[in-house]
This record gives sequence, C-alpha cells and structure tokens, in this order.
Amino acid sequence: MNGRAVAALFRKELLDVSRNKGALFPVILVTAIAVIVPFVVTILIPAVIGERLSDDSDLVGISEVVDPASGLTQDGRVQMFLFQQFLLLFLLTPTTGAMATAAHAVIGEKQARTLEPLLATPISTLELLLAKVIGALVPTLVIAMAGLALYVAGIALFALPGVLAAMVNLRTTVLVFLLGPASALLSLQGAILISSRVNDTRTAQQFGVFIVIPITALLVAQFTGALWLSAFALTAIAAGVLLVWAILAAVSVRLFDRETILTRWR
Amino acid sequence: MIAATGLTRQFGTRVVVDHVTFSVERGEIVALLGPNGAGKTTTLRMLAGLIAATSGTVTIDGVPMNASTGSALRRRIGFLTEAPGLWDRLTVRENLSVYLELYELDRHEDRAAALLEALDLTPHVEVRAAELSKGMRQKVALVRALLHDPDILLLDEPTSGLDPGVTHGVRELLGRRRAAGCAILLSTHNLAEAERIADRVAVLQERLLALDAPANIRRRGATGRIDVRVDGAAAPYVDVAAAVGAKATADGAILHVELTDPEARTPALVEALVAAGARIIEVRQEVPGLEDAYLGLVARGERGPVA
Repeated sequence: MNGRAVAALFRKELLDVSRNKGALFPVILVTAIAVIVPFVVTILIPAVIGERLSDDSDLVGISEVVDPASGLTQDGRVQMFLFQQFLLLFLLTPTTGAMATAAHAVIGEKQARTLEPLLATPISTLELLLAKVIGALVPTLVIAMAGLALYVAGIALFALPGVLAAMVNLRTTVLVFLLGPASALLSLQGAILISSRVNDTRTAQQFGVFIVIPITALLVAQFTGALWLSAFALTAIAAGVLLVWAILAAVSVRLFDRETILTRWR
Repeated sequence: MIAATGLTRQFGTRVVVDHVTFSVERGEIVALLGPNGAGKTTTLRMLAGLIAATSGTVTIDGVPMNASTGSALRRRIGFLTEAPGLWDRLTVRENLSVYLELYELDRHEDRAAALLEALDLTPHVEVRAAELSKGMRQKVALVRALLHDPDILLLDEPTSGLDPGVTHGVRELLGRRRAAGCAILLSTHNLAEAERIADRVAVLQERLLALDAPANIRRRGATGRIDVRVDGAAAPYVDVAAAVGAKATADGAILHVELTDPEARTPALVEALVAAGARIIEVRQEVPGLEDAYLGLVARGERGPVA
C-alpha cells in the first residue's frame, strides 16, 4: 500500500470538491434540513399554536422509552425523545454526500478523461478506490459534524433545561460517532462500486436510493414507536454495517474493471 | 527495451490488433502510423499495461508485463494519453504535484520547473487547467508524462493541437530524451513529423504493415520509374532502353524509363546507354514521399497481407 499515493489523491479530491461548491450543495441542504426541522417540530410549532408537547397523549406514550432516571419533566422527555429521533436524520447527510460526490467519483474521472493517465501510474486499484472513499467521506462528515454542532447548540439554547444533558449518553455517542460514520462509509463504498460499474452519474445516483431506504425505514419505525434501538443494538448494527462495508470494499476492488472503463465507456 | 510479440487484442469478435510484433530500443524513436481505428491507441494501452492483450506479450528489458509486474514496470513508462486528462479545477502546479506524489518523487520540483520552462509554461503554473488553451493542456500533459524521468515514452499524438513553434519545441525535447537513451514510441497522423523525428516508422492497420526507416518505407513505394538526363537529345536512346527490357519515352534531354526491378536493372540500363554513346549527366529514381508510400501500404493492406 502506497500511503503517499492515497494521500496525494485524497488531497486532490479535497481540492476538487472545495472548488466545486455545487457538488456539496445537496449535503449542505440535507444537513440544514436535519438541523432546522427538529426545532420547527419540537419548539416552534408548539410555541406558535400555544400547546405543550405533553398535551399529546400519543407522544407522551411513545416517549416513555426515554430513561425515567433522566429526571426530565414530561415535556422535557417528549422533547428529548423527538430530538433523539431526529438525530437519525444525520445518518442521511453522508448518504446524500455519497450520492452527490461518490457517484461522480469514477464516472466523473472517466468523463473528464482524467482516469487513463491516472491508471497509467503505478497506483493500485485499492489505493485509487481508498482515496476516492476517503475523499468523499471527509467533506461529508465535516459538514455532518458541523450540522451536529449547530444541532447541539440549538438544543442547548432552545430546549427545556436538562434535555441536552440527558441526550449526552452512550446511545447518542454510538449513533453519532459510530453508526453515522459507518453508514457513511457503507453508502460511499456502495456509490463508488456502482460508479465504477455504470457509465453515467444519474444511474449511480438512482442506485443510491437503495441505501436511503433502510435508513428511512429505521427513522419511520422509531417515530411510530414500533422500534427503539438501544445503544447495544445500535452498536451491533454499526458492527454489521462495517462488516458489510469491508466486504463491499473487497468486492469493489475485484469488480473495478480498468479495461471496460477505458475501452467501453464513452 | 520495450517489445511486443504477437500482440493481439479482440473486443468481442472484432480484432483490433492482430499479431503485432516490434520493439523500440534504447535511444530510438519509432512513429506509429495508421488510419483512424487502426489499433494505435489500443497498442499503446497494451504496451502501457492499461489493458491486457488477448494473446501475445509485452516485455520491458525481458520482463513480461502482467498483473504482478505491471505496477513496477509502469514506473518506467511515461504515457501521454490521447486526451490531456488534466483536472480542470486544479492549477498546473497542483496537477503535476499529484503525479509527483503518485510516483513517490522527492525534491523533483526542480525537474518539473525545468520541463515547464522548456515548454514555456512557467508563467501558467498557477493557472487552473480549465483556463488553459488546448495546446497548453497538451504541453502540461507532456510535462506530466516526463515528470518521473521515464526511460520509455509512449505518446499518443503528442503534437496534436500544437502550433508549429511549440511542435518544434516538443520535437527538440523528444530529441533530447532520445539522446539520453529513452525509447520513444509515438502515434501520429502527421507524416512529415514522423519522417523528421522518427528513426523507424511502424505502419499499423490491425496488422503491422511495415516497420522500417522512413527512407526505406518511401523506397518501398517506389514505382520503378527512372529519369535519365543525357547530354543532348534523349530520343535516340529510347530503343536502347527498350532493348534492356524497359519501357521508355523521351522528353528533350530526359529519358523516362520504367523498370520492373530498378534496384537490379538500373546498372544494366546505364551500361547499355553508355555503350550506345550516351553521355549521362544524372540518373534519378523517382521515390514517392512518405505520404504516398503510406497510402500505398494502407491501400494494399486493406486488400490483403503486405509482404
């Protein structure tokens, strides 16, 4: 493994993305939605209509999964429950990043005819794909983390006292720092694998829908109260996601067909 | 240095390169000529280890190019692709820096600077590739191919889109690389360029139709027509020429003669003319330009194998 080659290509990816603002616009948009919508639902709407969240018996019912030892009021528990649920939106951010940037990773190079001189160097397929994954992962994670920082700051400012403190727990940590990056890695790897097998960006992006569906299903299941994943369950899912990523990474290297990319794609 | 042996490439049922065998030696420039779709780019890609041959081998100093040796052998090759392939949002310097790192080159900025200077690119190093003209992009791509000081250069139409002044500069650069011992294979449609720069010319049309020095290729296209200029009128010598088996016509002091095998029969013709009293001033064999010879080869190649 030539670390210098990977680092060089990674830096190139960062430079390229930093000068192509449009590429990150979808990620920034989804992050902005992930930051704003929870406050609209949890803080703004109840304030505007003059009702408390605890007036909704259904919400009170499903928020009982929140640890009673948190010492929160009923309103606080509902707020915490909602803010916890909306945290899942931040799993969608890197997925959007994958569809916006990673899908372009190989196809874009081919269309710009920059791939052939690159493949003529001693770089291996593994090094090339690794640089592509990291190059797409880092900007999307940075944006997601920036959005998360705003989210936390918003909770500190607008939520009831104690909600933020109660949210800082193992479950949130696993969700944000393990499952989030793991999902991002998986979706990026999937997008890059697809990007190296199809010859137009739109097709690669359409395949990205298959990655969004499980996350959306998880989001909906949690909101309806049908599912409440514990820290352990989330850790297990993250481990599974990382395992699938490792398999997908190996498959990506095997399926990266230099010849087809160079000779058949137009 | 770099050799192709029986190199064949099929895409589906279509044979693009058919049993091509040739080599490029140290300190030699070989120009690869052929019509569009003749297999030039595919041949270059196989030689660069980018695509595998259906059959046949590529070797560099006897080491076969394959999956396990490809990465190491590619370090010895500088490959100029058909399109410059620069990253548009990166500057010239940034484009080249990535490649310096890919080849794990330390302190080679001086070399890059010298190459940029040689091709008048120094004022443009901080310009983004998207803002460069077509010719400048081509020059940057050439610098990129030379960055790691390769001992083999594979160049796909290196002077395409360049103005005559820059083309001259590129030729000089390649001449210096040849003098330094580099083996250079370049594909081109510019026959004058091939004739001027190449030690040998390979004419490809799926198969290798010819591989020889440009002068020899031209000679192959010779028609057998010889012009003999004599002192005085040439008409009296028409029958003498006919007697040695040649068709001849006279035009003032010039005797136009057509021989079936000029290399072998010209001495006999001259002897007969001298014996008949002709004072010969000049004997000139009509040799076609490289373009005519090339077109002849390609036309014959389309009809069947060329000996």
